Amino acid sequence: MPSADNPGDDKKLRELLHLTVPAHFEAVASAADAIAETLCRLEVPEQKRLEIGLAVQEALVNAVVHGCGNDPSKNVTCQMQSDGHGRIIIVVSDPGPGFNSVSIPDPKRKENLHSDHGRGVHLIRQLMDEVTFERRGSEIRMWKY
Amino acid sequence: MDINVRRRSQVQVIQLRGQVRMGPGVDSLQKAIEEALANGDTRLVIDLTEVPMIDSSAIGILVRFLASAKRNGGSLKLVQPCKFVVQTLRLVGLLNLFEVYDAETAAVESFS
Repeated sequence: MPSADNPGDDKKLRELLHLTVPAHFEAVASAADAIAETLCRLEVPEQKRLEIGLAVQEALVNAVVHGCGNDPSKNVTCQMQSDGHGRIIIVVSDPGPGFNSVSIPDPKRKENLHSDHGRGVHLIRQLMDEVTFERRGSEIRMWKY
Repeated sequence: MDINVRRRSQVQVIQLRGQVRMGPGVDSLQKAIEEALANGDTRLVIDLTEVPMIDSSAIGILVRFLASAKRNGGSLKLVQPCKFVVQTLRLVGLLNLFEVYDAETAAVESFS
């Protein structure tokens, strides 16, 4: 069960940003920029900002492409919060049916290395400290400690 | 993202500035490379000196066109990716796939 020291404990979270944007690449790029600006204002170190920024970008693009089917009449939401220990959680959700996050092929395997897609979730998992999928995969929760 | 395409010693140099990510940025990069290949220019240099970040869609474009260029007797080489772009390429296991140069001149001359 979540505890005060557990990143899963949402009760202690402070909301930093909550955005709802159309499922369009330029709109989600603006959302990613807003996240980056907020992190900058919070004086989060540059390396951490870059890692969070890229992970958020990947999550938002996945939400647009897979969650919304590139339909700009649908919306993607992005929420950033922090806990009392300065850890950041970002939640990206879409109205799609979700996906099985376990079934994603490893892009570093030899047979996938030359593919022109399929690296987004792998990158998110590498860049963030804890990543979980909720609502059958239509919501991704990403922690950076 | 800004893009500048020029020809230098039979090599097509594509200079990028800003974040390269899904949307207009990646579309511009794809179009520039496709035009070069359509014109028979298979020697490509992508100057990343002023690029702080590339996303997985940009990486996909680079991988796809590296293969196309090589199939047609050329290559696609990278110039001065920043530490974070190098880290990103390493995380997806692709850093060793590309020839990486510290300067545009060195990348261009490597084709001769």
